[in-house]
Amino acid sequence: MFEGTEDGSPEEIELRIGAVLTNLPIIRSLAASIAMRADFDLDSIADLRLAVDEACSTLITQGAPDAALTCAFRVSVDEIRFVVTVPSTSDAKPSSDSFGWRVLTTLTDHTATWVDGPDDPNSQADTHLVHIELAKRRTEGLPG
Amino acid sequence: MTGTQSSRAARDQDSSATGYEHLTPMFAEMAELPEDDPRRAELRNKLVTGHLPLAEHIAARFSNRGVPREDLVQVATLGLINAVDRFQPDRGTDFLSFAVPTVMGEVRRHFRDASWSMHVPRRLKELNLAINAASAELSQRLGRAPTPSELGRHLDLTPEQVYEGLEAGNAYHSMSLDEALSPDADSDPLGDTLGQQDEALAGVENYESLRPLIESLPERERQILTLRFFRHMTQTQIADRIGISQMHVSRLLTRTLENLRQGLLADPDGK
Repeated sequence: MFEGTEDGSPEEIELRIGAVLTNLPIIRSLAASIAMRADFDLDSIADLRLAVDEACSTLITQGAPDAALTCAFRVSVDEIRFVVTVPSTSDAKPSSDSFGWRVLTTLTDHTATWVDGPDDPNSQADTHLVHIELAKRRTEGLPG
Repeated sequence: MTGTQSSRAARDQDSSATGYEHLTPMFAEMAELPEDDPRRAELRNKLVTGHLPLAEHIAARFSNRGVPREDLVQVATLGLINAVDRFQPDRGTDFLSFAVPTVMGEVRRHFRDASWSMHVPRRLKELNLAINAASAELSQRLGRAPTPSELGRHLDLTPEQVYEGLEAGNAYHSMSLDEALSPDADSDPLGDTLGQQDEALAGVENYESLRPLIESLPERERQILTLRFFRHMTQTQIADRIGISQMHVSRLLTRTLENLRQGLLADPDGK
């Protein structure tokens, strides 16, 4: 089990994968595996798994064709932070009035979304980067 | 068509109860034919088709336990074919007394094995069952879900073994959402929770398309969804309330959310 790296700094894990719904099982297995090895309780493991699933499927439906999803996990002593990013032709943020958003906020301790404009304003690609960030804190009163 | 005289009494008894008596002579007939006689296949077909209602009847007795009905009928039918092939009419028992336990055994085995994806070895299934049981026990004691290391200490397993067992749970076949819940397992009528759910949903932008999707969910799935997202109960609390394992709650929730998302995608403008 890991709780950060040896020097106490957070452990970072990144996955780059095609933004298609059929890849969801891979991403949620990774999320569950990370939470399990960080010794989160079974409810928190299941919640993170569901939340990651929800966040990724939201971005997958918003991603540009043939886009790749970047999933970054950051495991520290007291929380797991997850940021998923997809390039999109639209600068629209995922709606915070949707049922999916309610799912995310119920399952995690922190939820945020933002959009970065194109790196180069003159770029032909006109690609925006849409992000969703989640954090799940270790349940209080747990040893470790 | 001889060889059935000896079981005449049994046959008469059967005929009043089952309606399969007209098939009985075919077993003896088939038994007397040489292995390569084409009529054997014909008789075997007739025997299997003729007894199909028996397989359906047994499948029905096991339905509403989380395995889709069609799967059960298929498994029961396989059991029936086995029974027809293995039945020896000269042994003195009638076919039904032989077939019923055979078919039921087949269905039970399906519950034990085939609800899992094919590749999970028995060791892992047993490990997963042990973890499930320990998890329920520890949740009771701790008042919250246990961690993998707590499960490991309780079961005297290494962390890696616990991880393996937990992961095996994810390979468990996701049950069909259309599978209805048996009525007696439903302890909490939803009537009053639906109103609350509506209120909480009213602020959601695709409320109009979401609402019918939620309403069309099977009762248990809707109940789990409501308890988790509108009553903020944990999966362990829900598991306890409904009387299934936390892992099962987790699987059902994953499935339900997936279906809601698909439903919303199919109807994006929320007509």
